[in-house]
Amino acid sequence: MNGSEERRRRLLQLVSAAAFLAVAVVLVLIVVNSSETDGGDTELEGVATAKRELRGIPQDGLALGEPVAEVTLYEYGDLQCPVCKGFAEDVVPDVIEAKVRSGEARIEFRNFTIINEESVPAAAAAIAAGEQTRGWDFLDVFYANQGQEATGYVTDEFLAAIARAVGVPDIARWDEERESPVVLRRVQHESEEAQRLGLTGTPSFAVTGPSIEGKEVLGTPGSAEALEEAIEAAG
Amino acid sequence: MKAPAEGTLQRIATFVAAFGVGVAAYIAIEAAGGDAPTCIAGSSGCETVASSSWSHLLGVNIAVFGIVGYALLLATALLRGDVARMAGFGISLVGFGYSVFLTYVELFRIEAVCQWCVASAVLMTVLFAVCALRMVAYVGRPT
Repeated sequence: MNGSEERRRRLLQLVSAAAFLAVAVVLVLIVVNSSETDGGDTELEGVATAKRELRGIPQDGLALGEPVAEVTLYEYGDLQCPVCKGFAEDVVPDVIEAKVRSGEARIEFRNFTIINEESVPAAAAAIAAGEQTRGWDFLDVFYANQGQEATGYVTDEFLAAIARAVGVPDIARWDEERESPVVLRRVQHESEEAQRLGLTGTPSFAVTGPSIEGKEVLGTPGSAEALEEAIEAAG
Repeated sequence: MKAPAEGTLQRIATFVAAFGVGVAAYIAIEAAGGDAPTCIAGSSGCETVASSSWSHLLGVNIAVFGIVGYALLLATALLRGDVARMAGFGISLVGFGYSVFLTYVELFRIEAVCQWCVASAVLMTVLFAVCALRMVAYVGRPT
């Protein structure tokens, strides 16, 4: 065997070893990806619907819509509340499509945790998702997968599966922030604000805008049309 | 069977890798803007896959890894010599293997197909075939 062929044989041996290394790298990537995901998102409902509904609309925390919109609609809700789920699926999407997407109004979700103590970690998880611009995705997917209230279904695993499903970019950061004193205090402040406004149930709505002074409490209007009229009156 | 000329293989790899950079960059740019790539014919597969947590690795969108991978493959396609031949093979093997895994995830875990991800998987498969052929036929041989 001449020198050139010998060198080629050695290089091919080297490549064979490198190929094993490459396969090992792929396996490591697969293990890391799988362990980060845990496959939990595949059983959740409403992920694609939420994406479709919110696509192209700016999110800032739990506020949805153009920051310069003159009118802000506030929704005070409890993620465990079944009536809130009904509104999230049948009423709010129409308002988003008619008034928020156009830039006429923005809608801001405020946590009013009235069902039981399980509502607090759910609210905190939504706020933490909002810190990574996935707040409304989180709300929508939570409602789409809501269980029977106060039955203990709001577990860390349930919340993490939603966060992953809606694509929260940094899950470790989300996990840290949702338990931080700052976020938990914010949940408390939002509930206290709802009580100060005299709200007694969820969902309740309020509106601010150039045509009204302060925050006008709307209560629980029965339809998207009623909310849209309130937005128009405030504008 | 005689392998195509190395220059031909390099030109094919250059074209495919450049196309791959474009596809991965489009997915990454859409993701950075909070959107999903647009699927043809109104399919929601792209949104479903892009919003899945499988779309991120170590907190970074997988498309970003794709850009890096395709850019490295573009460099190996443009360069001559054994190092470029072997590096091209190794990188494309990693890319191909991971693309197979991601395609499995799309079909059997997420149960949605993103056309852009499929396009990337096809490009990476072609690159792997071309780089493997180049390496087997020409490594250790004069350029």
